[in-house]
Order: sequence, then C-alpha cells, then structure tokens
Amino acid sequence: MWDYRYMESILKRNNVQIIGKGDQVILFAHGFGCDQQSWKYIVDSFTDDYQVVLFDYVGSGKSDLSQYDSFKYGNLNGYAQDVLDICEALQLKDSIFVGHSVSSMIGILAAIKQPAYFQKLVFIGPSPRYLNDEDYTGGFERADLENLFEFMDSNYLGWSSALAPAIMGNPDRPELGEFLTDSFCSNDPVIAREFARVTFFSDNRADLDKLRIKSLTLQCSEDIIAPLEVGNYVNKHTADNSLFIMRATGHCPHISEPEETIRAIKAFI
Amino acid sequence: MSVQVDKDLLDGLIDSEILYQEAPCGYVSLLPDGTIIKLNNTLLTWLSYTSKSLLYKKKFTDLLSKGGKIHFEMFFKPMIGVKGHVKELSYEILKKDGSILPVLLSAKAMKDVSGTVLAINIAVYDITDRKSYEAELLKAKKIAEEEKRTFQFLADLIPEMIWTATANGNIDYVNQRFIQYFNLPEKGFKPSSVLSRIFTEDRKKFIEAWRKSIRIGSDLHIEIRLDNYLGNSEWHLIKAVRYVNEDGVITKWFGSCISTEEHVLALKAKDDFISIASHELKTPITSLKGTLQLMEKMKSSHPDPMMHKLVDRANRNVNKTISLIDDLLNVGRINEGQLYLNKKRSIIFEVINDCCNHIKNETDFDILVKGDPSIEADVDEGRIEQVIINLINNAIKYAPESVIIEVSYEKTGQEIKVSVTDQGPGIPLEKLPHLFERYYQVESNNGGKTGLGLGLYICAEIIKKHNGEMGVESEPGKGSTFWFTLPA
Repeated sequence: MWDYRYMESILKRNNVQIIGKGDQVILFAHGFGCDQQSWKYIVDSFTDDYQVVLFDYVGSGKSDLSQYDSFKYGNLNGYAQDVLDICEALQLKDSIFVGHSVSSMIGILAAIKQPAYFQKLVFIGPSPRYLNDEDYTGGFERADLENLFEFMDSNYLGWSSALAPAIMGNPDRPELGEFLTDSFCSNDPVIAREFARVTFFSDNRADLDKLRIKSLTLQCSEDIIAPLEVGNYVNKHTADNSLFIMRATGHCPHISEPEETIRAIKAFI
Repeated sequence: MSVQVDKDLLDGLIDSEILYQEAPCGYVSLLPDGTIIKLNNTLLTWLSYTSKSLLYKKKFTDLLSKGGKIHFEMFFKPMIGVKGHVKELSYEILKKDGSILPVLLSAKAMKDVSGTVLAINIAVYDITDRKSYEAELLKAKKIAEEEKRTFQFLADLIPEMIWTATANGNIDYVNQRFIQYFNLPEKGFKPSSVLSRIFTEDRKKFIEAWRKSIRIGSDLHIEIRLDNYLGNSEWHLIKAVRYVNEDGVITKWFGSCISTEEHVLALKAKDDFISIASHELKTPITSLKGTLQLMEKMKSSHPDPMMHKLVDRANRNVNKTISLIDDLLNVGRINEGQLYLNKKRSIIFEVINDCCNHIKNETDFDILVKGDPSIEADVDEGRIEQVIINLINNAIKYAPESVIIEVSYEKTGQEIKVSVTDQGPGIPLEKLPHLFERYYQVESNNGGKTGLGLGLYICAEIIKKHNGEMGVESEPGKGSTFWFTLPA
C-alpha cells in the first residue's frame, strides 16, 4: 500500500528538492559539514537531461532537526537509511548516486542494501577510513581529529559556543538555526559534533568489495582529507570502479572546479 | 559656525597604504590554492615573520595545525566557494616560534565575471583576550554541569520520591525512585498522567489541596494513597514547599512523597486490637456495674460506714472505666464508618445548659453560657452534649486556674459557632495542628500524659458527621478557645 503521508514526511524531513526534466534520476548527496547548496555550481548542467534530486541529511541544512536521533545516526547506516527512505518515497529505480566525501560511503552502504535503486555511483573524494592503520594510510592520526573537533566546537557561533547548548536546551527559545542568517555549514553544533565523529571514526574498508554496482572515483590532487593513496585503495578494492585523477586541488572540486567535475561525471554516466 | 576644512591636509592624514599596513587587524590575500600573495605589517608583527619568508612560498594552511587544515578544507573553502564570503571563523595561527595566536577570520572572495574565484582576501582579528574569557566560561559551564549531575545523582539515590513543579503546578522533574514506584517510562511521560495513579477516593481531595496551595502560595501537606506499579495503593505523605526567588515571586515547588504505609498499617493494627479488647471488656464491666448498683441499694442497711465510701468509690471508678471503654468503642465505630446520628431540631441553649448543669454538680468552676436562646439546629443532642462536655472537661483538666469557663455561641449566616474559652496557660503553637489527631496525648500540668488521646478526635469526627468544622485558637499565657460549627 502506498502511503502518501509517509512520502510527504520523508520529503519534508530531508528537505528534498526535485528539479529538471529527464527519465533518469541523479541523486546528489552532500558531504559532512555542508548541505545541498554545495551542488549549486554543477546542478544546472544536469537538469536538461536528468531529474535531479537534492536533499539534506537529518541534522544538516534545512532538514527537520527534531527528527535527529543520536542512536540512529550514531553510525553511517542511519544516514544510508535516509538515502533509502528518499529512494522509496520517490519510488526510484536505476538512479545515479553522486556522493561527496562521507556520502560516498553512505552511498555504498545504501547500494549494498538495496541495489535495485541504483545504476551507477560517483564518489567525490571518498575515504573508507580516515585514521591511519597498520598497512593502511588514511591520512589522519587520532590527535589530528581531536584537534579538528576542537576547531568545530569553537566555530559554532564563535565565542558564544560555550553557551549555545544551554540556549538550545531551553524549550522557550527558538531553534539555534533561526539565529543564523547564513545556514550553510552552520548546522546544529551538537549534531555536527556527532556527525563528525561518525564520519571520521568510521571504517568501511570491508564494505567496498560488497558493492555490485558500477562506480567512479573522482580523486583530487592535493586533497589532505582524502589523499591519493586513499583514492587508489578505494579503486583497488571496489569491483568495477574507475579512478579519475582530477586537476582540481582540495577536497571540494564541485565547488572549486565545477567544469572539470561536470565533465568527469558526464563522461562516466 | 562652520569649520574650515582643509581637504588636502585631511586626505594626507589618511594614506591608504599606511591604513593597509598598520591597520588594527591583520590582512592576508591568497590564491584559490591557498598561496599567500600579500599580507600587512600588523599580521607579520603578530606572527614574527618577515614578508620575504612567506610571500609566494607558503600556503595559508602551512600556518595552521593539522586540525585547522582539515577545518579550512571542509568549512572555509566550501563556504568561500558557495557563499563568496565567510564571517568570523575561529582559528589558531601558528607564529614563527610555534606558539599560537587565536584569531577570527572574515574573508571575501574576488571573482571574475564568470564567477571563478581569483583570490581570497582575509581580515584577521586577534582574539587572545576573548579566547581566555571563553575558556573561563566553558570551565564555569562544566562546573555547573558537574554540580547538576551530583545533585541528580543524590536525588536519584534517595529512597523516597522527590519531584519539582513549575509555579503553576506542572511537574517538571521526578527522581529515579518516583519513576520506579509508578513504573513510568524514563523519557517522555506526561506528568499529569501521575494524577490517575492517585487512589480514586483520594484524588479529588488531593487536587483540591494542591490547587489551593498554588492559589494562595501555601505549603502542601496531605496524606493520600498512591497506586504503585503493581496497582496496589500505599499511603504517602505528600509535601510541597514553595521556592521564592529574589524578587519574592514563587518560581518553583519542591515536593516529596514519603511512604507512610507502615505507619498507617501499624495504626490499623492498633485500632483492631483496641476494638476487640474494648468489646471484650464491655460485657464483664456491664455486669460489674449491675452488681455495684445492687450493692448501692444494699449499702444503707450495712452497719459499717466504710462500706458506703467503698461502694461509692467503686461506682465512680466503674463509671470512669465505662466512659473510657465507650471512647474506645466510638473510635472503632468511626473507623468503620458506623457513627450514626440521631438528629432532631434542638434549641442550642438547652443542649449547652444541660451539659453545664451536669458538670456544675461535680465541680465548683463557674461556667458562663452566652448566646441567643432562640437559636435552633438539627443535631444529635447526645453527641453534641458529648462534645461540649468533653471541651469543658478539658478546660477544667488543663486550665485548672481558670476562674471562669465561658461557653458562647452565635449564628452567622448559615452557621452556628460554639466556642469554649478558658483562661489557662494556653497551648504551644507547634502542638495545635495535632490536637485533633487520634492517640495524640498532651502533657498535663504535672508533666505526665493522661487519657487515651481520643477525646478531641472523637469530638472532631462527631462535628464532621454534622457537616461542621472544629478548630482551636490559643495564645500562650492567655488561654485557649476550642470551637466548632454546625449548619444552622
């Protein structure tokens, strides 16, 4: 039985936007720390030939923060379930999934669970594990990440972050998000902290070879978040994966080098 | 009066190059890949670098710790890319000697017509002082949270139920014991649902008392039964005290529910024993009384005058014993709800007068009766006499130095109020609330405890049964007034 209200609630929960015309669907999944606005430089190049689905994970952007559940989103499967819920609500089939950063692994988890929803996956700066390990270079030591978390904490509402959780805990006060004129990258600090830990302490190396869908890895040069070794590792351990090394530097080629990114995605799909 | 403006002089004061180099904030400009292409003296001085060692050689991220680098990649760059600017991001820049400069970064992207970022201009603000203030604030917050946890732990450890409520009576905290007793879900239960766990017969009484406390701001003190998680009801004393803030406004209620089940059960056992014992005693005492009545008739024919005295004394004592047993039997009836009234229209003056005559025969106290002789009420004469005699006897017993005992009555509205006033030593304030409780004994003048502590309890129950109220007012050194009301 198809429940219209359920569909509505999912679309609202994840702030799902559907644009463009075309038979095939491209699902763009943002990375940690951002929201669907991060796709703004490349979306227009796909809307003529595809139906583009944009969304925010629960806890990010304009999603329904009240739906956030520390237990559910305590590992990446919770986020993968968001993706599957959206696919189910929109009754998708053979869609293209483009995931940035942590969304690459979220896409893999979703596609292992429900392969029928997906035809191809594109990973932008993927990393199955950020921490270095025996015989594995992830690029980070634990102390680096703790240092990052400190930076994040001190960056929510600047110095007043010390008091922000107290304000938020008060039911008489509006959501913290309503104070912020600039919501991009200004997610709820408590949620962001948990999302950061889930992202950076995940280990999805064992999941790579379970994927049965064709995929592309877009690897930037000089990306300190996902270095070249990591891109090579993903390519080597994932069946039917192509690796494309981009000229773009940094971790967000879809923002810094949208043209190159668009070309690379189009060439693959 | 207008000021003569020397425009050239003023323009000369504000040289834009000096403004840039010596600005109160640092400036640094980067290529999109982060390479430093320009920076001002202020920033160089802060960091102790020379411009030669940085320009075109270093990237901005080289001046950041590893965590800072990641943050720059994941937050700063996407924000600059998407929004074209960032505002007040908190970073730590490494100085030449490796020490840290806490800063806020605000930046703007310079883009070409197609929207491609050509360069990024960053303003750097030194926030060293603010940072240490923030650290103190965080520390204070941690301490406060720690304290809160300690108290929470303490509250959860206490074996009694504890709760707090808002000024208008909504429960906003309950401790672990409270949750266990009612078997409530740990999260998200409706405090109002607890009301349904009050034993049905006590619910109305509780709600009325609680509303009254909230309305007039008085502490709550009420004994009711609460249904536990097994559905069994247990007696609890519910207390709530108000919390008044600095402005004198009630902002919170602190409450407890203390189990009195054992106490109530013990009282019940006592009642049961007394009821059985007094029934058992009643029969032989009645028989004894009959025997004494016979002896009373025969005593005149006995030659020894001592026998007269002995029979009289025996009679007095058997009467006292009977009256004590009657009290005990009355309590039993009250407990079982079997105190029945035999009401009829009566003239209050006559009822009171009968009692006084009765007592006057036995003592030499002056009893003054004051009131309108025409006032009537529907009462059980015998029971009301019992009450009045009890009050007068108490006055004689506890205020023997009274010259006059006054019994007055008056009708106000739909109520007749009868008062018995003595000029004795008065009753200590802390004892007043307990006088009408069962088995509450007051010390007599010589310090010993007398009686069973049932007299006033029975009186109050009789008055309650008449739909009246009973109370006492007392002022140490001046005397006491016991009063009761009856519906007119």
